[in-house]
Amino acid sequence: MENEQLLEVQDLKTYFYTERGVVRAVDGVTFDVKRGRTLGVVGESGCGKSITSFSVLRLLQKPGRIVSGQILYHKREDDGNEEVLDLTNLNPNSVTMRSVRGAEIAMIFQEPMTSLDPVYTVGNQIIEGITYHLKVSQAEARDMAIAMLGRVNMPEPQRVVDSYPHQLSGGMRQRAMIAMALACRPSLLIADEPTTALDVTTEAQILELLRDLQKEFGMAIMYITHNLGVVAEMVEEAIVMYMGKVVERAPVRDLFYDPKHPYMVALLQSIPKLGRKNRARLQAISGMVPSPFAIPPGCPFHPRCPKFMPGVCEMSEPPVIDLNSERYVRCFLYQ
Amino acid sequence: MTDNHQQPILEVKDLKKHYPIIKGFNRKLVGYTKAVDGVSFTVPAARTLGLVGESGCGKSTTGHCIMRGIEPTAGQVIFHDRERGPIDVAQADPNMLRHLRLNMQMVFQDPSSSMNPRMTVFDIVSEPLVVNNVARGKELQDRVAELLRVVGLLPEHMHRFPHAFSGGQRQRIAVARSLALRPQFIIADEPVSALDVSIQAQTLNLLQDLQEQFDLSYLFISHDLSVVEHVSDVVAVMYVGKLAEMAETEELYHNPKHPYTEALLSSVPNPDPEAVKNRIVLAGEVPSPRKPPTGCYFHPRCNYAIPDCAENAPPLREISPGHTVACHLAEKLTLRGVTAVRI
Repeated sequence: MENEQLLEVQDLKTYFYTERGVVRAVDGVTFDVKRGRTLGVVGESGCGKSITSFSVLRLLQKPGRIVSGQILYHKREDDGNEEVLDLTNLNPNSVTMRSVRGAEIAMIFQEPMTSLDPVYTVGNQIIEGITYHLKVSQAEARDMAIAMLGRVNMPEPQRVVDSYPHQLSGGMRQRAMIAMALACRPSLLIADEPTTALDVTTEAQILELLRDLQKEFGMAIMYITHNLGVVAEMVEEAIVMYMGKVVERAPVRDLFYDPKHPYMVALLQSIPKLGRKNRARLQAISGMVPSPFAIPPGCPFHPRCPKFMPGVCEMSEPPVIDLNSERYVRCFLYQ
Repeated sequence: MTDNHQQPILEVKDLKKHYPIIKGFNRKLVGYTKAVDGVSFTVPAARTLGLVGESGCGKSTTGHCIMRGIEPTAGQVIFHDRERGPIDVAQADPNMLRHLRLNMQMVFQDPSSSMNPRMTVFDIVSEPLVVNNVARGKELQDRVAELLRVVGLLPEHMHRFPHAFSGGQRQRIAVARSLALRPQFIIADEPVSALDVSIQAQTLNLLQDLQEQFDLSYLFISHDLSVVEHVSDVVAVMYVGKLAEMAETEELYHNPKHPYTEALLSSVPNPDPEAVKNRIVLAGEVPSPRKPPTGCYFHPRCNYAIPDCAENAPPLREISPGHTVACHLAEKLTLRGVTAVRI
């Protein structure tokens, strides 16, 4: 069952219609997540990685709108039958979408303090999800919540279940978020920068916890992050996004040892690497991320690209070039 | 590098910041939060001292105490001024502080909250010059233009507001402001943490270039161990208000002597998919400085702890030239440093 499709996103376009113009936050993104596997989504702020996940969960706020594309979710019933849902066709508030959100696809966010409700206890918030999706009584749901808190290695789950988020430390809040997300045993967990706000030693704890839980529950994880170290450790395959487009997709080993897209190459060169102390300058990527209202024509990376080919890159958009069955890159260099 | 790095620019001796904990109707003093508790280090001239630690360990409080943004409870902060010789910042009177602040400046973490959104870049960068009567009129314009050029911004943009700039550019503006008075020493408190990866490298390069150009000394405060390794000559590791270990960067990263340093180094996610993953995951959390554990503050989480660790706090001691550690077992343990990333 390992290589079955779970989520297929095809040519997804999510635009924001603002007064200043149209922001093409996600502009033709295609990828898939296989059952039980881990996909990394790498990119800097503003590249559209979070909007992609919001689109999948249909949590977009106005003025954002899915303009075109398909999001196919392979929902597996208890009897083993599969049903393919196109999430783009569903009303975000419909019963079907609600039964997917939380129960089938769950999400954990970057800043646990802002994504937990400060006026409800942690237990209340976990129980709300459980009683919505599963046919259980309040008392059973509470027991499940406590068990889940124990499973995410929360110290004293019996007490924490009645605590408010402000009474917990950052690491404990993130554990509570994970308990909430996994309470209904989703098939896909979208983790949006789950450790960015945490200290390194806490980050190490959370990453190990996620790995263990994935083994135990067999869920797929879509791991969104800008931290290349986390990508290398956590995922099997990754897509690299820049200005709303996927510029490269590759198994993580190939991506780090043999990156193809000049953006990914530059990104790898620009980070200071532990254990390689020298006073040499870092190879910074010149320029800055363009404004979303003025995305450069052609390849959006061309003004910053060290391998820019005048007369080619700025003229038209580079096509997707398949390097092998698992890898593609969007760059004229490989044509 | 020349040998003048033996010359210190800043010496911090037994710096303490204790906040009283007051409880109840009678406002009874029930204890102290020892945010910084006896920290000593030396920043060599024209070099960088990196101060690392997790949030709440007191590294920013240390920075603010050095600037007297926060009044230290005890201790000495000796600044070796090029003109006036050593000055104790902790005891300086307002007049002396004015002089000191011409020479010591600070760059903060979040460039969007450390600048007034209603002031233009010109106002922001020129403010220290105006306040200290350094320049006015045409000269002021020229100075600001020059500063913006130094940090890689276009002087034409000086009449724009901060919101018109990206995060990386805003951090450049903050750096320009801190350079306005030509300081000798800059405290950079997490200067790149809020920036994107591709912009981080630009800012780090800028800080390095400025150091060479103006002989600047930095106290570089950060929680990011790879960034600290890249910029620092000497690194100090803090844990719950105290220094755990301090050594030259390479020595500390490759030959750590404190179990906390070892755990910190092994926790950093390694951008090498095939790196051997033998991470030390610490149990529990950083204790609160309100109620620190007895003995060595690290002993409840330490894998090597012996009974003595729970009773006696280990003093910071030099175990080899330039390498100081606060651990009873420093000589006995063989700890793992970083393995170089191959990619």
